[in-house]
Amino acid sequence: MFPQQNPQEKPIRVAVRRAVKTYEGGVEALRGVTLDFAAGTVTALVGRSGCGKTTLLNLCGAMDFPTSGEVLVAGRRTSELGDRELTALRREEIGFVFQFFQLLPSLTALENVELPLLLSGARKSEAIARERLRWVELEGKAEALPFQLSGGQMQRVAIARALVHDPKILVADEPTGNLDTASGDAVLKLIRRAADEFGAAVVMATHSAEAAAIADIRVRMRDGQIESVER
Amino acid sequence: MKLFRQLILRPFRGDLTRSLLTLISIALGVAVVIAIELAGDAATGSFESSLTTLLGKVDYEVTANGGVDETYIAALAALPLNARFAPAIEQPVVIVGGGSTTVYGIDVIAAGMNETGEFSTDKLETSAVLSSDLAARLEAKKGDSITLRGPHRTQTFAVQSIAEGQDTGWVGIDIAAAQDLLDMHGKLDRIEVFLGTGEDPGRAGEAIKKIVPRTYDVETPGARSEQNRRMLRAFRWNLRILSYISLLVGAFLIYNTIAVSVVRRRTEIGILRAIGTSSRGVLLMFLGEASMLGVLGSVLGIGLGRLLAAAILGMISDTVNALFTTSAPGAVELSAGTVVIAICTGTGVAFFSALIPAREAARVAPAEAMRRESREHETRLRVGRDLTLAVAAALAAVVLCQFGPIGGRPVLGYVATLCAVVATALVSPAFVTGVIGALRGTLKKVAGAAGLIAGRSLVTSLARTSIVVTALATAISMMVAVGIMVGSFRETVQVWLESQLRADIYLRAAGPASAGIYPPMDAAVPGIIRATPGVGDVDVFHAFQFHYKGTQATFGAGIMDIVRRRRSMRFLSGDSNEILASLPGQDRAIVSEPFANKHHVRAGQILRIPLGAREVALTVAGIYYDYANDKGFVLTDRGTLLRYLPDQPVTNIAVYLRPGAGAREAEQVRRDLETRLAEFPLNIAPNEVLRRGAIQVFDRTFAVTYALEGVAIIVATLGAANALLALVLDRRREIGLIRYLGAAKGQVRNMILTEAALLGLLAGLLGLALGTALSLVLIYVVNKQSFGWTIQFHPPALLLGGALLLVWAFTVLAGVYPARFAAKLEPAEVVHTE
Repeated sequence: MFPQQNPQEKPIRVAVRRAVKTYEGGVEALRGVTLDFAAGTVTALVGRSGCGKTTLLNLCGAMDFPTSGEVLVAGRRTSELGDRELTALRREEIGFVFQFFQLLPSLTALENVELPLLLSGARKSEAIARERLRWVELEGKAEALPFQLSGGQMQRVAIARALVHDPKILVADEPTGNLDTASGDAVLKLIRRAADEFGAAVVMATHSAEAAAIADIRVRMRDGQIESVER
Repeated sequence: MKLFRQLILRPFRGDLTRSLLTLISIALGVAVVIAIELAGDAATGSFESSLTTLLGKVDYEVTANGGVDETYIAALAALPLNARFAPAIEQPVVIVGGGSTTVYGIDVIAAGMNETGEFSTDKLETSAVLSSDLAARLEAKKGDSITLRGPHRTQTFAVQSIAEGQDTGWVGIDIAAAQDLLDMHGKLDRIEVFLGTGEDPGRAGEAIKKIVPRTYDVETPGARSEQNRRMLRAFRWNLRILSYISLLVGAFLIYNTIAVSVVRRRTEIGILRAIGTSSRGVLLMFLGEASMLGVLGSVLGIGLGRLLAAAILGMISDTVNALFTTSAPGAVELSAGTVVIAICTGTGVAFFSALIPAREAARVAPAEAMRRESREHETRLRVGRDLTLAVAAALAAVVLCQFGPIGGRPVLGYVATLCAVVATALVSPAFVTGVIGALRGTLKKVAGAAGLIAGRSLVTSLARTSIVVTALATAISMMVAVGIMVGSFRETVQVWLESQLRADIYLRAAGPASAGIYPPMDAAVPGIIRATPGVGDVDVFHAFQFHYKGTQATFGAGIMDIVRRRRSMRFLSGDSNEILASLPGQDRAIVSEPFANKHHVRAGQILRIPLGAREVALTVAGIYYDYANDKGFVLTDRGTLLRYLPDQPVTNIAVYLRPGAGAREAEQVRRDLETRLAEFPLNIAPNEVLRRGAIQVFDRTFAVTYALEGVAIIVATLGAANALLALVLDRRREIGLIRYLGAAKGQVRNMILTEAALLGLLAGLLGLALGTALSLVLIYVVNKQSFGWTIQFHPPALLLGGALLLVWAFTVLAGVYPARFAAKLEPAEVVHTE
């Protein structure tokens, strides 16, 4: 099945073609998945635990390679890239948001947001980071350390960090899985805006119906395969 | 036991690199302690005269400053005692073509050696017995001949027998032959007393004391050895304390290892507690881990220490001989007692170091899994309290330095040192936070993300960081303290040598060049020198070892008028010129600073010194700075000494050329003297050779100290590698995340290396501060109280700077493996697993 996911002719940011992923011990996490993720589109991957969502996210985030098939991220075939090129690809084209926020506990909110820019050696990194914090409405918490923030605030800082370098792809793994409803809603709004305002292709794995509701496309997975695609 | 296997042994094997690093740290710490103990024992163990031991157990020795009059033998023999009195001479002598050795003169007939075939009765005066080691050195066998050279006589002896199993190098000849050879007619070094069966030693001792003059010493041979051991006690204690520093550094690292173990196994602890393991069980489990590391490390350390002892024995032995007394190094012997002590020390240190983290583990409630954050949080909360305690410890150190020695040892000085280390450990968390805080902006500017994260993560892991910084700082402080002390001492000695060695040429009789040994020279030598063209003043010096209030010192006499004109002796107080001018023709003396400190002597005080059969009252005219040895000197004018001991031989001569003579003239005179004095066994050395030699002895003396420092630094560097690896393992998720955010492997590597560099910098700064404080304690308390000399403070800045840079580079190198390990972590795997 090759679903047509791009009726508005938006550019494809991530293209997954017949991807199979088999882990050591013979566990087949993905079994021939083909899927495109377009700019400005939120795609929600839904399904039970162990259905292959995280594996697919790792492939989209250039963190892992398919055992067979291919994955093109920002037009580049990941399996053909060396470690340095993959690092550059993640640094320039991809932003990550995790369920448990994954902020560095020793850095302030502003420094956490600035980190990707510092890693890429960008200029005026602090000003840009401050701007992103303002975008997630947390400029007043710039100097706060993660433990001084609520869960919702931490996830907003994580989103600001993921978007600080204007990535073409935003990979989000259960972004509301650890939040109360109000905080979750605020985070989902930001993710929606990331697609609308930044034109990012958002790939989001989620169990939550609220999260799935903001998506343009909902892909249901089961046993490493795509069960259905709903727009 | 099963739990121990599953929760301690399995992770131990799983984390083999870190486990081995810890093990090696303990092993090295124990090895250094063992090595210093074994080498110290071997270097100082053999004071007893081997030949005396061979002849039987001596019950008493009769000795006197300036020698014993042999006529007392007859008087003693007339005593109604069941005892035998044997004359003995023990002097250095030159073997023609074979270096020098000790000659023992004994009464062969009385000892019955003629009957055992060791001496031929008809050729008594030309027969000799050789110790097996000397025979081996000379490749001499029974029947060969050996030529000995006295001050003005040379005599050939036939080797009648070889005494097996000897290791102190000696030649035994008949007493009369020895007196002839050494020009000691009518004089002996001692009378040895052998009591017969049933004779009461107390009664015999009293009877002997009644016969010999009051100034003679009647002591058991053990007392002489005990005197030597007492003299070496300070030296050995200082080495011992230095060796324990490595163990202390090891203790910090054990603490860290167990603390890491506790944190990394927090989930297991939580589960264990939930399923019914008591807190005592958890405590015992971690103490078991520490004890296991302690036992294994100690066993490894014993083997290593035995090897190390053999390696440093030569160095320690050289120092003992150069500064204290003649002693041939014995074999390095590892006794069962030493093994037990080593295992107990290593295991004990490991056990007590682990007590705090193990108790932390035991406090984990079943419902909660202990998190590192809580420990770190507690450390941050305690910073204020720790600072207060640090100030208290530092103050205690200052107060302790104000007191004098206890039992002749700077015990309170050592305790002050420990207080200073404790203060440093307590100040460490605040120091880390403060310095990193101050460097915050700079780190980000200079090293970007790597600098930012490296600095912050060190502060976040404050408990662990501060332990590693303290361990490394302790090792560095030892290097700095000893560096400053030795550097200051060296500079002081050099300045002293400058003022002391003003003569152009120095002469001494050939023979062993050890402290307390003054081979005599022929009485004709000074006259020959005076008659040599180009020679100005000739200072004739007589030196001999003497007993004063149970310790040994050197009595010396020179021509004080020449000393006053030609040398510039520095006195603690008073005018040098006036003091020296007051000595000739008077019963006045000057004493060295170590002698004054040891015996609490002040200027103006009267010293009662036994010289021969008389006790002479000498007024102390002044106390002079001296660094030749810590036994001390009492110096009088030559005329004063010869009034009481007219036969005292000349031992050293200082030749001053006529004013205006240059290097060429000096060389000419030296050659001339060599020709004119060719028939005498003498060492003739120009000024610079003597000066160079003195500094070489000095440097050799501190070689062991440098070796000890090296080991402490290695232990601490291993600790830094261990701790960095632990930090990496503990921050796997964080490192993975940084990789998610776009960090290249090189950036992760740089981050860990920056952390290593920061650890090195923090430890370097703290170590420099602690080291400078410790150097003051070493110079003004420990050295002063142990050896009695004043060292001027001269820190060798360049050398220290270089050494600190080197240690810093080592610390960065220690970060290479953890950095590579961190860079290899798979980001997706660690972020999702953690």
